[in-house]
Amino acid sequence: MIGRFDTDSDPDARWYKYQGLETIMPSRIEITLKPDLLDAEGENLRRKARDYFGIHTESVRTVNIVTIDAALTDEQVEQVRTEIFTNPVTQISSLAPLAVYADWIIWVGFRPGVRDNAGATAVEAMEDLLGIRLGREEAVYTSKRYCLKGNHLTETEVQKIASQLLANDIIQQWKIFGARNWNPAEGVGIIIPKVRLDHVPTLTALAIDSDATLQRLSVERNLALNPNDVPIIRAYFLDPRVRAERIKVGLADPTDVELEYISQARSDHCNHNTFRGLFYYRDLATGQTETINNLFKTCIQAPTLDLQKKKPWVVSVLWDNAGVGRFDDRHYYTITGETHNSPSNMEAYGGAITGIVGVYRDPMGTGRGSRLIMGSYGFCVGPRDYAGDLKAHLHPRRLLDGVIEGVRDGGNKSGIPTPFGQVLFDHGYMGKCLVFVSALGIMPATVNGEPSEQKTILPGDLVIMCGGRVGKDGIHGVTASSETFSEHTPAGHVQIGDPYTQKKMHDFLLEARDEGLIRFITDNGGGGLSSSVGETALYSNGCAIELENVPLKYAGLDQWEIWVSESQERMTVAIAPENEKRFFELSARHAVESTVIGRYTDSGKLHITYNGKTCAYVDLDLMKAGFPQWRFEAEWRSPQERGLHEPVLSAPDDHNGVLLDLLGRPNICSKEWIIRQYDHEVQGTSVIKPLMGAGRDTLSDAVVLRPVLGSNRGLAFSQAMLPFYSRIDAYHMTTCTIDEAVRRLIAVGGDPDHIGGVDNFCWPTIQYDPVANPDGRFKAAQLVRSCRALRELCLAYGIPLLSGKDSMYVDGHLPGRYGETHKVSALESLQFSATSVIDDILRCITLDPKADGDLVYVIGLTGNELGASEYYDMLGYVGSRVPQVQAEAFMQCYRALAQAMANGWVASAHGIYRGGLGVHLAMKAMAGRMGMDIDLSAVPSEGAGRNQVLLYSESAGRLIVTIDPRRRQSFEAHFKNLPAACVGRVIPDARLKIRGIEGKTIIDIPVPALQEAWHQRFGDLT
Amino acid sequence: MSRINALVLTGYGLNCDMETAYAFEQAGANSRRVHINALIDGAIALDEFQIMAFIGGFSWGDDHGAGVIQAVRMRTNIGDKLLAFIEQGKLVIGICNGFQCLVNLGLLPGLDGDYTRRSVALTYNDCGNFRNDWVHLKAETDSPCIFTRGMTRFELPVRHGEGKFFATADLHHRLAENKQIVLRYAMPEGLPARGAFPFNPNGSIDDIAGICDPTGRVFGLMPHPEAYNHWTNHPDWTRLKEKVKRGQAEKPAGVTPGVRILKNAVDYFAG
Repeated sequence: MIGRFDTDSDPDARWYKYQGLETIMPSRIEITLKPDLLDAEGENLRRKARDYFGIHTESVRTVNIVTIDAALTDEQVEQVRTEIFTNPVTQISSLAPLAVYADWIIWVGFRPGVRDNAGATAVEAMEDLLGIRLGREEAVYTSKRYCLKGNHLTETEVQKIASQLLANDIIQQWKIFGARNWNPAEGVGIIIPKVRLDHVPTLTALAIDSDATLQRLSVERNLALNPNDVPIIRAYFLDPRVRAERIKVGLADPTDVELEYISQARSDHCNHNTFRGLFYYRDLATGQTETINNLFKTCIQAPTLDLQKKKPWVVSVLWDNAGVGRFDDRHYYTITGETHNSPSNMEAYGGAITGIVGVYRDPMGTGRGSRLIMGSYGFCVGPRDYAGDLKAHLHPRRLLDGVIEGVRDGGNKSGIPTPFGQVLFDHGYMGKCLVFVSALGIMPATVNGEPSEQKTILPGDLVIMCGGRVGKDGIHGVTASSETFSEHTPAGHVQIGDPYTQKKMHDFLLEARDEGLIRFITDNGGGGLSSSVGETALYSNGCAIELENVPLKYAGLDQWEIWVSESQERMTVAIAPENEKRFFELSARHAVESTVIGRYTDSGKLHITYNGKTCAYVDLDLMKAGFPQWRFEAEWRSPQERGLHEPVLSAPDDHNGVLLDLLGRPNICSKEWIIRQYDHEVQGTSVIKPLMGAGRDTLSDAVVLRPVLGSNRGLAFSQAMLPFYSRIDAYHMTTCTIDEAVRRLIAVGGDPDHIGGVDNFCWPTIQYDPVANPDGRFKAAQLVRSCRALRELCLAYGIPLLSGKDSMYVDGHLPGRYGETHKVSALESLQFSATSVIDDILRCITLDPKADGDLVYVIGLTGNELGASEYYDMLGYVGSRVPQVQAEAFMQCYRALAQAMANGWVASAHGIYRGGLGVHLAMKAMAGRMGMDIDLSAVPSEGAGRNQVLLYSESAGRLIVTIDPRRRQSFEAHFKNLPAACVGRVIPDARLKIRGIEGKTIIDIPVPALQEAWHQRFGDLT
Repeated sequence: MSRINALVLTGYGLNCDMETAYAFEQAGANSRRVHINALIDGAIALDEFQIMAFIGGFSWGDDHGAGVIQAVRMRTNIGDKLLAFIEQGKLVIGICNGFQCLVNLGLLPGLDGDYTRRSVALTYNDCGNFRNDWVHLKAETDSPCIFTRGMTRFELPVRHGEGKFFATADLHHRLAENKQIVLRYAMPEGLPARGAFPFNPNGSIDDIAGICDPTGRVFGLMPHPEAYNHWTNHPDWTRLKEKVKRGQAEKPAGVTPGVRILKNAVDYFAG
């Protein structure tokens, strides 16, 4: 037997093979498709092995294994085998190993304690069918074996398939059998990945005799306490008043529960210490210095509160789990976004599904709770075809496959459409990938006659935990994501989300909300109960928690583990005692587990007991105590000082070649294979889909939903990400990103007076260190400039920031060819999401030209702004002239266009984004399956001058629209004195023809050829 | 004024309840979203309803085969009530996950009046993945199916990973003979898809997208009628809008094909 089967790999658990010693006789059911049926999963694996590694297998068949570790009679096992686990039409099954021919067999199963969703639903089905209840020690485990045919296959090749396509050591175990060592009677054996802790929960007090001791313990226990916090924490526990009070409850030195609580609450993830930090900013060119106290307050909070006063549609911002905007008089929409980078980087599927399912709990926990109406994604990974020396934990291609599937299952199985997202490739994301997930919900303006966005807690309210149970999952997830990824990062915080359990909870909580049972609701995410209860207790100013009541997945967790575990699919709810009965009736009706774990009080204390013994007794206002602000030095060096300059390039002769190659670039080409895996129409609200146009295969600028069925109002949503511009200046990266998101909304008919924003920052480490982070000061300056840009453009465009998150430490240390490690930092990245409300969805516009002879207009000035463009990148340059936003001028055009659309003059509209005018004229031609005859000399421009600049400059603020010629006069009169001009017309002949400024045709490409170039790269993926 | 009551099943990971209920309302029914457990514990009785909808979603996460565990739970707890509902001449529609549940319950295809035998299957798409796309459908005009009365060709969205219809050759032959093959995936011009991807999105034999029982009162289909509840759901609607603006097309009137399917059911009783 070859392969990875280390019995002691998980200290918390013990693998064992059944040895006849147990009281329970486990049984194993093997299930496979009938031989004459196509095995799509096996076929997928065969194709991937060929395409990814050039490994050729004749065929791959999969066998599903259900291992039942429960006391069932033979009759019962036979009944579940035939009635649950075997489809009589398509499958065969057996309690003995199935004889499926194979030259090699790969078995893959979960490690102990990893969420086995199929195992859990199997238990439900068996209990239903047999009318029994399995005992606490009984369970069902699912695993798979893959039967590979191919007599030339080598062991090394099979190992590669097992370790690089099928199993991830972090969550899975695998075994390989050659035909020779396969025992047809025993098969893979009976493997039961049961967690066995054999541990008595213990509370530990930690010595604080000196700062050094506490700092040491912090490192030992992976508390990730900031050294500057240590003295304050010690001072608190040494305070005579505090000690006196603690003695009364039987405590002296701080307990592990207490320090874990403080550590979670103080982590950068929960407390945003970086954004709340003190920045000493210095411009090295001018020598000017500035001190910025708290980027969050000055650049996010201040402008948003300012705008909230002016914009009555802004209902609730900056305090709850998600922001709240008015959709109509009777409904509010809620929105938030976050990232799940570190876990996805280690276990792509698990990290991504946990991320999307997790962000869905934020709108659920906003106000009295909202119903989810859509989600979106953003994936940033290394080059999919990376062939260099650096060894990332997961190759970018595998990582991308995993995060795509994670968001697919998380979104689809939640019954929430996933209609929008971005996928970006850049070498900087090899160190740590980025996985952005956003969620929107909708809720009634009032619940039981009370404003739905408001909530509070009264002393005496019950603390209820709903949803999943608590295990060792995700312990220290928050603190781990506040660290740079390295081979030492604990893998323990990787989980697999369970959308099924959460969907049940979602439906239940909405019914409870509508019956007015919910006083307060919030989600259990980072920090688990420690964060959710710790933060909600502030509303009543105290809580008393009985930890022994928290339902566990398995016995043996220490108190501190129960308190900080990040086991998923849990919400914390406060209800008035009189509502307890009804709340639990509904919970049972929906088959959701809910438990009273304590009461809210007004004691001012976080009081936690376990079987009557106090394990935490902390003043809630400790968190407001003067913890030192984080400090950062920021030094800005201008592009010129960094030696950036424009390349010396002459005009290309072959513009057809340039355009076709640009269309095929990874960051521009079609990603239809991802979009089609995502259910983007569930809930029946789809108005503008991700793919529109004559061929239904071209990217929409934004999506529009009709979240309230029966109403004609629409909710438009868009996102943008342009991290490439950070190579020159993160200030302009930020303004261009926000402008693009806004322009995308305008293009589909969005309302310039209602634009909400969500900022999601992902930044490399900005704390300077001469050895570990020599350019930290520059990265800090980039962050300061980015935040400034955010403030300035949001004020100029009138965009309140409804929500936002920041994720720092996007760096990784990757082993190279000689065993040395390389630090790889991501580009300074911002994903900006924007929303708008549309009075009448019938006004919505798509990008596809609709009729021959229609006139083509370009709105907005094209400048000489090729800096960090796709064109320069293709030719191997960065340049220095990065696109810049002229807020007032742009907004004038957007308002004019919005009015023209409202007047019904516009047949199609599309923004000009990455790749420039050439690429986006091509997008329109492809969308309409129609030709266009364009004259570059007519394009409104400013210092653009040359054809290649007009075609590939990425100047912001521009759109392409087509109109019915009969609208020409009114349209042009309407745009008088604005940079808008007719640049050509839609032609019957399906070719994109572009005449250069000298008047001769420089581009002439049939539309099918454009499509070929745009679809080719990922065209074979489904 | 219609008094037809339509039951929309919810719970355990089902997820198309809101739009299905809405589409039934548009079809003129009183629709009610009812949790599977409310039927099982008797809080709500099937007798109040004339139409029962098994809706789309991921019941029990679709683990162990789409619709399998839902079928087990319903057969075990209220199997007899379901059979009675059908015997009373009432209507049942299964959409996507609901269709998968109906075939696993044996309510479809219901040959020889046997509504308990699993004789056909909906299995993994040949493309090996979940797929969301709009498909062209051709209806069997002389099928007994109540739901597709008067309908010939239309489009609906599909959103599934396990929609490949499979049956043995002779069983397939019987379904065809009985005109129980109600819907087939077609080419845009209406010709049979003949298995061509993506027109036949999952590799179903004989391009089968939906079947009914011999009486035509039990109907299951993979596409989602309820997701075409307004003409702006259609991927080409902005193109149609522009034609209307230019007087080259009629403004869409009446109900969408999706709602029409449900309206046929309502009219069956009302009319």
